[in-house]
Amino acid sequence: WKKDEFRNCDQTPFCKRARSRTPHSLPHFTLSDPSISDGHLTARLLQSISSSDNDSAAGDAPRPLLLRLSVYQGGILRLKIDEDHSDPSAPSKKRFEVPDVVLPDFEDRRLWLSRVSSSDDGSTSSVYLSEDFEAILRHNPFEVQVRRKGSNDPSISLNSHGLFDFEQLREKKEGEDWEERFRGHTDTRPYGPQSISFDVSFHGAEFVYGIPEHASNSLALRPTRGPGVEHSEPYRLFNLDVFEYIHDSPFGIYGSIPFMLSHGVKSSSGFFWLNAAEMQIDVLAPGWDDAAAAVKGRIDTFWMSEAGIVDTFFFVGPRSKDVIQQYASVTGTLAMPQEFAIAYHQCRWNYRDEEDVASVDAGFDEHDIPYDVLWLDIEHTDGKRYFTWDKVLFPNPEEMQKKLFSKGRRMVTIVDPHIKRDESYYVHKEATDKGYYVKDASGKDFDGWCWSGSSSYPDTLNPEVREWWSEKFSLQNYGGSTPSLYIWNDMNEPSVFNGPEISMPRDALHFGGVEHRELHNAYGYYFHMATADGLLKRGNVKDRPFVLSRAFFAGSQRHGAIWTGDNSADWDHLKSSVPMILTLGLTGMSFSGADIGGFFGNPEPELLVRWYQLGAYYPFFRAHAHHDTKRREPWLFGEQKTALIREAIHTRYSLLPYYYSLFRKASASGVPILRPLWLEFPEDKETFDNSEAFMIGESILVQGIYEEGQKSVSVYLPGEQSWYSMRNGAAYAGGQAHKLDVFEDSIPSFQRAGSIVPRKYRFRRSTTQMTNDPYTLVIALNSSLAAEGELYIDDGRSYDFEHGAYIHRRFVFSNGRLTSSSIDLAAAPPREKFSSSCTVERIILLGMRPGGAKKAVIEPGNYETVVEPGPLVLRAGAGSVALVIRKPDVRIADDWTIKVL
Amino acid sequence: SRSTSLPNKESLGIDPQDLGYYKSNVIKCKDGSKKITKQQLNDEFCDCPDGTDEPGTSACPEGKFYCQNVGHIPIKIFSSRVNDAICDCCDGSDEYRSNANCPNTCWEAGKAARGKLKKKIETFKEGVVLRKVEIEKANQAYAKDEADLAKLKSDEKMLKDLVQKLKEQKEVIDKLEEERLKKEQDEKTLREEKEKSMEEATEMGETQHDGAVNNKQDESIDSHDIAVESGNDNRDDREAASSQAVEQYIGEDLDDGDVSEIADTSPYESPKQDKGDSSTSEELSREELGRLVASRWTGESADQKTDNIGNVEEEHMDIDPLVTNEHKVSPSETEEDGAKYNDDDDSYEDDKDEDFEEDHADSDGSYITDEYENPDPADTTVGSSSSWLDKIQLTVQNVLQAFNFFKTPVNVSDAVHIRKEYDDTSSKLSKLQSRVSSLTEKLKHDFGNEKEFYLFYDQCFESKQNKYVYKICPFKQASQVEGYGNTRLGSWDKFEESYRVMAFSGGEKCWNGPDRSLKVRLRCGLKNEISDVDEPSRCEYTAFMSTPSLCVEEKLKELEKKLDQMNTRETQNRDEL
Repeated sequence: WKKDEFRNCDQTPFCKRARSRTPHSLPHFTLSDPSISDGHLTARLLQSISSSDNDSAAGDAPRPLLLRLSVYQGGILRLKIDEDHSDPSAPSKKRFEVPDVVLPDFEDRRLWLSRVSSSDDGSTSSVYLSEDFEAILRHNPFEVQVRRKGSNDPSISLNSHGLFDFEQLREKKEGEDWEERFRGHTDTRPYGPQSISFDVSFHGAEFVYGIPEHASNSLALRPTRGPGVEHSEPYRLFNLDVFEYIHDSPFGIYGSIPFMLSHGVKSSSGFFWLNAAEMQIDVLAPGWDDAAAAVKGRIDTFWMSEAGIVDTFFFVGPRSKDVIQQYASVTGTLAMPQEFAIAYHQCRWNYRDEEDVASVDAGFDEHDIPYDVLWLDIEHTDGKRYFTWDKVLFPNPEEMQKKLFSKGRRMVTIVDPHIKRDESYYVHKEATDKGYYVKDASGKDFDGWCWSGSSSYPDTLNPEVREWWSEKFSLQNYGGSTPSLYIWNDMNEPSVFNGPEISMPRDALHFGGVEHRELHNAYGYYFHMATADGLLKRGNVKDRPFVLSRAFFAGSQRHGAIWTGDNSADWDHLKSSVPMILTLGLTGMSFSGADIGGFFGNPEPELLVRWYQLGAYYPFFRAHAHHDTKRREPWLFGEQKTALIREAIHTRYSLLPYYYSLFRKASASGVPILRPLWLEFPEDKETFDNSEAFMIGESILVQGIYEEGQKSVSVYLPGEQSWYSMRNGAAYAGGQAHKLDVFEDSIPSFQRAGSIVPRKYRFRRSTTQMTNDPYTLVIALNSSLAAEGELYIDDGRSYDFEHGAYIHRRFVFSNGRLTSSSIDLAAAPPREKFSSSCTVERIILLGMRPGGAKKAVIEPGNYETVVEPGPLVLRAGAGSVALVIRKPDVRIADDWTIKVL
Repeated sequence: SRSTSLPNKESLGIDPQDLGYYKSNVIKCKDGSKKITKQQLNDEFCDCPDGTDEPGTSACPEGKFYCQNVGHIPIKIFSSRVNDAICDCCDGSDEYRSNANCPNTCWEAGKAARGKLKKKIETFKEGVVLRKVEIEKANQAYAKDEADLAKLKSDEKMLKDLVQKLKEQKEVIDKLEEERLKKEQDEKTLREEKEKSMEEATEMGETQHDGAVNNKQDESIDSHDIAVESGNDNRDDREAASSQAVEQYIGEDLDDGDVSEIADTSPYESPKQDKGDSSTSEELSREELGRLVASRWTGESADQKTDNIGNVEEEHMDIDPLVTNEHKVSPSETEEDGAKYNDDDDSYEDDKDEDFEEDHADSDGSYITDEYENPDPADTTVGSSSSWLDKIQLTVQNVLQAFNFFKTPVNVSDAVHIRKEYDDTSSKLSKLQSRVSSLTEKLKHDFGNEKEFYLFYDQCFESKQNKYVYKICPFKQASQVEGYGNTRLGSWDKFEESYRVMAFSGGEKCWNGPDRSLKVRLRCGLKNEISDVDEPSRCEYTAFMSTPSLCVEEKLKELEKKLDQMNTRETQNRDEL
């Protein structure tokens, strides 16, 4: 990490200015003329004129701002504040509103406001928000509050500390110098300062979470200002390609999601600012505002952005999963991936040639380790011209992909946004001819340096450019591609090696005269979108795309997976991967993972094994390595380590039915796959600041091992029910911490009592061959000998599931009886059907006393099978730790009941 | 084609040798965990976690399925392959319940395999003979070297005695000379001042002159050694130069602080002026900056062409005019060899090294190293030792006898003689000692159980792969040569895996990577020949080398046995058919 290369807040004028202000030090903004228009509440915001000199308003009388409040189904308040373009003195340039992030159907869910109520003294106005909540507007000074009806206690509020400021666009006058310089780069800033800042308070909150992406050891956001905080930068949201990022820092890395959640024992709430410019966010420690008594149970935050408008969303919760779903209803849920995409991926910069690819592929078979996807990094191309192949190293790419696919395996190639400026390269030629590149401040095609040398960048903000880009992925256009090839978008922050902060100059110009500063954090989003769209079209909208992106923005979950970028092979990075991935999940990006083993450096075999053991639970499970590192395919560290890694990968494959069901749930509701403990145990304070353990769905808890040679670990198991070790079936009481021995063969993982987890205990080369394999159901009984769970299955590839072609089962165990019944999500009768001949080969009962059952009777059919002691996992030497219903052989798709006797 | 009826549950996937184990009605899991009934054998439910009860299905993850492969070699496959719709056994027996259509290909495959095995055996047969000859030669050479060493050591002892005697003599002379000088001086002080100064001048001149003569003679004797030494010096220079180059290269990694300076002031000329008139110095500095930042990830020098990204080796090449091309270089023709680095693991089997090199061209890539080709003609070589040593002894004796100790003043020419003899003899001694130590050093190495690698000591082997020539000198060092550039891949470390791998380590340091290293995997072949040099992991090289030294008789017997088995099975099969 080169600290000097990146700006800190003090080197960023808008941040420095905003951060140095004290509460209520600015002239007040006053709200006037609240009225209802088209179902919105609209009003004007005016800053009282003051003699004090404020550099943003020097010389100009401030124009009134336009405010608009809207209310949406499910407890969402949207607040927009922008300049009033009907004002004749307003500049012609409009501020940027980020398009295509809010779901197209979001507007359909708007509630038509018909009236605004005023308080008796006329100092506030209020509108209906939901059954339980209302929004209050205080007029002077202007403040927005969301609160429970009939109470005076707000849950979220904006501008309670009077830090709201809005620098309006101005025409440059003679003699004015707005240029900003940083390390030899000059930003012309033709529209002058245009930043926005305000404070947001979360009431009843113990902690706040979210606003990725930062490398951190802590899931809860630590305060960045106020009593007890030494010096700290604010959390920066600015997509950057940071070389060797450090594992714990508020500096911005590859992606930005300006969405924050708060959580307390009683309730949760959330706040999202749709703005793609550089953002800086302070989490303020109690007492930061010199209040005589620091208010307990409130967290104040301070939001600053370089440009754009105020377009904010308040989510009322009140439960944390409600907040997540409310956010998902604005930006969408994750795109349902294909089944192969949630299995194991093998990557390296670079698998050098076809021979190398073949030998790595063969290595997995030789060692009986399953994998689903082999990846090719930048070196596979002809001189970093994407969509081409190095003819010497990869003379027969189609044949190579077909060979992999004959074993059900896919390939992923990299396609980055930097297009080589080479007249003989068709992509460059077309983009130049059509004027599809981002322009520099002078209007010429922007020319920056990246892997391909002198390069230009397609302006994917423009829908026409996205259309053009998406066509590049057709089988016809992408020579050497086959239907089993998928895509990886790297460097899309965008990374520009010779640009300011290794990125694009802020005064570069996009479609519609949008400055790069206004769009920056969403550049990668549009590029990812266009690529995913390309794969969708390639498969005639029948094959779900898989596109991994490094840069991301709010809503990127709709386009594919992301990963945490270039991490390092050390224990600290292993540890920070968990809070990073949990944070991404909370903010919609559920399908994410960190490079197994660490990208830079050579992991000790112990670290690599621990990383596989943890990474096997990441939603996106991929090993990757820098080209200077030693080879680290799973079998290169001796028999014993190979066995440990195989075991870790097998664990993931055995849990794929459970994972796939969770992915479906996430794609339907937005609730993440990997979850902080507090999402499942919202009232258990012990869990609020736990960054080392996580839940997979509702039923499994995993504790990472983050230290070399660790012999024991303290694991806090929440809730009243007990937990069963997934290693040996032993039961542990809930609601307390347990000091546990740490073993080499696995990291601690537990199934929650009261849950049923569907698994598959047969291993294959890849998921493709597992399709018809039978299921194992693991039932963990709670104190009343009951449990329940779900299983979702579809064809794993197409969109037929959207038309009803899926199997969705609900399993309930109670009174010694397991029943399987269908869950029908669709309101309309399914147009298409999915069938499966899969059976259940084994049902494992945890928590039933030995000898508690001898046989089981299956209905319909009324036939019997044996119940006997058996192991939890099928590994030589595994002892009998549970009761096993042997071969019930019921079909997974059918309704049935099994009674144990 | 697939059999229409399902195979017999009681033998499905079971190795015939194991059939007995499964005969009884109660079968024990091999890990002792459990007992099962015959009905549970191959019933698609894993009762034994170790896989004992499901050899013929995919139910147990740790199970193994036995394919008979009639007509070819029987194999055991992982149970994960059973009924997965991919044909793994050439007889198709693993896909008895899937949709895959697996034709029986055992006959053809078996034939091909037998043909390959036969060819391999032929090579081994020839190789075993060659190996014997080699070993005999090696042992002769070893014995000779040992004998030489013994002789050298005794010569050394004798020479040491002579030197000692001469030294004593010289010291006596020196002392006498000193006394004489002192005496003369004393006398001179008694004489007139003028005369004294003149005489002294004369004396001094004479002494100096003597010294000069001595030096001249030494030079002529040592001339060869000097040449050899200077050769060594040059090698050191080469290393120095290369490490200097590396340092220079590191020097280009500018600290962050410097980056902005470059961007601002552009002290560099662009290496590529392809931007036409628009290329202002400002823009060039931007390009430099781009390269510089890219180089963090790639570890390359910032000022090279983009297309070369990844070929860091090029950057480390330094010009070395001392490497000449006089050695025979044979282009490698072993491209089709499929065995690669991933065969490095323990399971490395001879099945994989079947592409031995019997049919390769005559030109082999080896040559004898300089020392061997141009043996030291100096008078210390063992062959002529008796004569030269005798001569020296004689001379010294004569000198010593001729010298009259009691004659004072000392005869000047006698003194010169003694000094000269002393210098000559001690320089010969030191040469002899260096020869002793190099031979001792050589003999210290481990040359294999039968000293089969002894002759490798004085040889180097080369192979050309694309633009690089790899030069491997066992027991010494290995390097990668491109044009005049030379990169050290490592110094001899040891044999590994019971003499099947030659390991070189501690080569030139890699940017952002480890020190370079090389492992050469040896296999039976009729010639000493390097092939398939590869760099599977950054700066960790691998190569294959075929050599008769690996054509071991036991292995040949094994192969023959295997072929016998295959042939027997073939006949059986024919009979069955």
